[in-house]
Amino acid sequence: MAVSATTAGTGATRKTNHDRMPMIVASLLVGVPLLLFIVYPLAFILGRSFSTPEGFGFDNYLSMLTTSRFQGILYNSFEVTLVSTAFAVIMAYAFAYAVQRTLMPGKNVLRIVALIPLFAPSLVQAQGLVLLFGRNGLINRTFGTDIDIYGYWGIVISMVLYVFPYAFLILSTALAVTDSRLYESAKMLGAGPWRTFRTVTLPSTKYGLAASVFVCFTLVITDFGNPMVIGANYNVLATEVYNQVIGQANFERGTVIGMVLLVPAAVAAILEKYISRRQYSLVSDQSRPLVIVPDRVRDLAFAGISAFIALMILSIVAVVIFASFVHLWPYNMTMSLRHYAFDVQNGIEPLWNSIYISLMAAGLGVVVVTASAYVIEKFKSPVTRPLYFLSILPAAVPGMVLGLGYILAFNNPSNPVYLIYGTLIIIAIANVYYYHAQGFLIASTSMKQISGTFDEASATLGGTRVQTLRKVTLPLIAPTLIGVAVFFFMRSMVTLSAVIFLITPQTQVAAVSVLLLEDRGATNQAAAFSVCIMATVVGFLLLVRLLLRLAGIKNVSLIR
Amino acid sequence: MSSHRRGGLFRSLIAGTAIAAVAGIAAAQADSITVYTSYEEDELAAFLERMEEDLPDLEVNVLRLSTGDLHARILAEAGNPQHDVIWGWAVTSMVDPRIQDMLEPYEPANIDRVPERFRDPDGRWFAVTGYMGAFCVNNMVLEDKGLPMPSSWEDLLDPVYEGEIVMPNPASSGTGYLQIASLLQMKGEEEGWEFLRALDKNMAQYIKSGSRPCNVASQGEYAIGASYALRAIKNINEGYPITMVIPSEGAGNELEAHGLMASSDNKDAAKRFLDWTLSDAAVDEYYNWKEIVTVSGGSIPQNFLDAGLPEDIGSVMYDMDFAWSAENRDRILEQWQSEFESE
Repeated sequence: MAVSATTAGTGATRKTNHDRMPMIVASLLVGVPLLLFIVYPLAFILGRSFSTPEGFGFDNYLSMLTTSRFQGILYNSFEVTLVSTAFAVIMAYAFAYAVQRTLMPGKNVLRIVALIPLFAPSLVQAQGLVLLFGRNGLINRTFGTDIDIYGYWGIVISMVLYVFPYAFLILSTALAVTDSRLYESAKMLGAGPWRTFRTVTLPSTKYGLAASVFVCFTLVITDFGNPMVIGANYNVLATEVYNQVIGQANFERGTVIGMVLLVPAAVAAILEKYISRRQYSLVSDQSRPLVIVPDRVRDLAFAGISAFIALMILSIVAVVIFASFVHLWPYNMTMSLRHYAFDVQNGIEPLWNSIYISLMAAGLGVVVVTASAYVIEKFKSPVTRPLYFLSILPAAVPGMVLGLGYILAFNNPSNPVYLIYGTLIIIAIANVYYYHAQGFLIASTSMKQISGTFDEASATLGGTRVQTLRKVTLPLIAPTLIGVAVFFFMRSMVTLSAVIFLITPQTQVAAVSVLLLEDRGATNQAAAFSVCIMATVVGFLLLVRLLLRLAGIKNVSLIR
Repeated sequence: MSSHRRGGLFRSLIAGTAIAAVAGIAAAQADSITVYTSYEEDELAAFLERMEEDLPDLEVNVLRLSTGDLHARILAEAGNPQHDVIWGWAVTSMVDPRIQDMLEPYEPANIDRVPERFRDPDGRWFAVTGYMGAFCVNNMVLEDKGLPMPSSWEDLLDPVYEGEIVMPNPASSGTGYLQIASLLQMKGEEEGWEFLRALDKNMAQYIKSGSRPCNVASQGEYAIGASYALRAIKNINEGYPITMVIPSEGAGNELEAHGLMASSDNKDAAKRFLDWTLSDAAVDEYYNWKEIVTVSGGSIPQNFLDAGLPEDIGSVMYDMDFAWSAENRDRILEQWQSEFESE
């Protein structure tokens, strides 16, 4: 096959003594914080799951896992998760392909739309779905239909919309870089578009696909917000964790399910070896970037698909924005600004806290996940596989469980981390590690496409690893890294489930203000506050873009 | 370009550290206490405003979380509690032995104002406010579908309501639990479970939140949402076309209690605050915001009466046995889940 010419011996293993020292140092730099901020808190959770009135034992597991009710919930979880994942990944692949491999019009706008679910507070999606598709929703009232969104399909639809941007970010990275020689060879050998897609495009994005399936799967199976709002009586593992931990203050049973949810991460870590074994590095010293030739039919077809997906995402947000400006949806539709008079604790001050936290998380997140991806991709050592497992493990941990773990682990004056306990910094750190897997998979998808021949070439020319990293690897993945920073920023602005255990009276965040308003019944004010958060994020992105322009840095897309 | 980005990171880190440091210093000031509460945010703001007039030198830092979130948080922080006072928190959660063990008995000034049955016999907590179950019934939906206005739990068994009723899931919501606990207590267990089975036939959803059933009924998603009275009153004030119905059998209810943390290192200030919670000013504010106040003093605000709350609350409240509710919680929820949640 033509591609085998560029298959790189990933890792370019040259195990000399000269190489061992940086490997050990780098692995420690990446591994120790992962152990501290992921494994250490989880160890407390694990401990709780074995704690019984009679001491250490398996009673919690036996009494939970053997009931037919639990097995039913387990089945429900897998059913809804597999279906949602399949839809989300296929849609995201088409969307990412449209953005990276076609010349469809309106790409820049469509990219931002694809990411809206990342910076829309969870209330927006839940409320939008009900306003649109509820029994008394816009669709039913307009068309006289009798759609009932609540239940299985409601969960699937809300989950697909929720995880779509995560899959898009990874697949967009996977499809961004390629070697045009592959496509030229395919054409010369007489392959049609479908065959080229199957034999060139699809295999070259295999790792990205696997990563996005893993991310979607774990996000769906650990999310309790969507099933709570729209799932009616359809119970899943994540809502059962909520029932146990929040509803009944039963940590022992809640943590048992938390441990069960870690299984997919373990499975993924094992499978990764087989999937990435045959991942081709796409950018080698001889590769040439793909020049996309115009193709009217293809471009229009993909524009149609993308516009449809964008419309689905937009309509949900738009209806919430609209509802926030009417007097009382759906009973008094006159326009009004009354929901924007925020009479909530501390006013908009929490929005500033959120911005500080998000900036810290963006900066810290980029450094942390890039380091993880670099060490795992470039140094093959006995700790590579454990490090990989630790890097993707957080995806399988429900935020609520991680938040509990942080309290149990760090709310202890004899722990050095206690110095930052109760500050904005610990919230930023929690966000970085809570979203570590997603950020890491975006970065490593990008890094996998850079051939090891660069390292060899650089070494041949007398360059050190650090020089190669600085002069070759980083510039090549820089666009992805900006995307990673934007990702951490967006999520940190709205995430709630782990944060709720770490906020103090002094460190209130914007997402909590939304929750406070919602809890006291001011749903429309909560929606208005959510609109302000979304506007802040968009405004912030525009500002950064402007600053980059002014600094003379052009051609940098903040959203990949 | 990469150095440009790195500069931004460091700046933001430094900025964040500075802010955090300032926050930390503020928290360490002498006469300041930390209070955990589940009072809703608007009630809380009014209470605090009044408190600042009376105790201007006391800095009260308040964290507001829902009853369940707070329960999990307090238990998780048990090794090193971060708060001095629990204020306005469900008695059913307060009597959790793991929580009661963290409290220090304290009898605030004016404790005699609180009837004895609303106080812990050992003096660890006292309940001053509370909330009670009520239905939110959407007038427009009733009209559209030609349904009668219900007035009791018994009415909800009428097959005309099939698929039009929602109530909170008792396994995830305290409001849901107080509703089924009140039914089991007033009807006796055997008849109570029979009733819940009959009710289940009409139930569209067991929603995993106590306020959402009222909110979805307010938006016209369902005709009837079993929730609590204050949520109904607030939604009526917001303008939604709903009627608050207090079930004629008697409304299940929950009390909200205050207590002093034994771990507090600023007990004098904490005690001053707890004393204030029984002052005339505080009781006045409770009456402005809460449907149940256990201390006599103020009067029920007009908008509560307009929304349909009777002047004599005692006449519609079911006399709950909170100790029974707490002791039997696990068993009841287990049976409830196995009967009504089996997928």
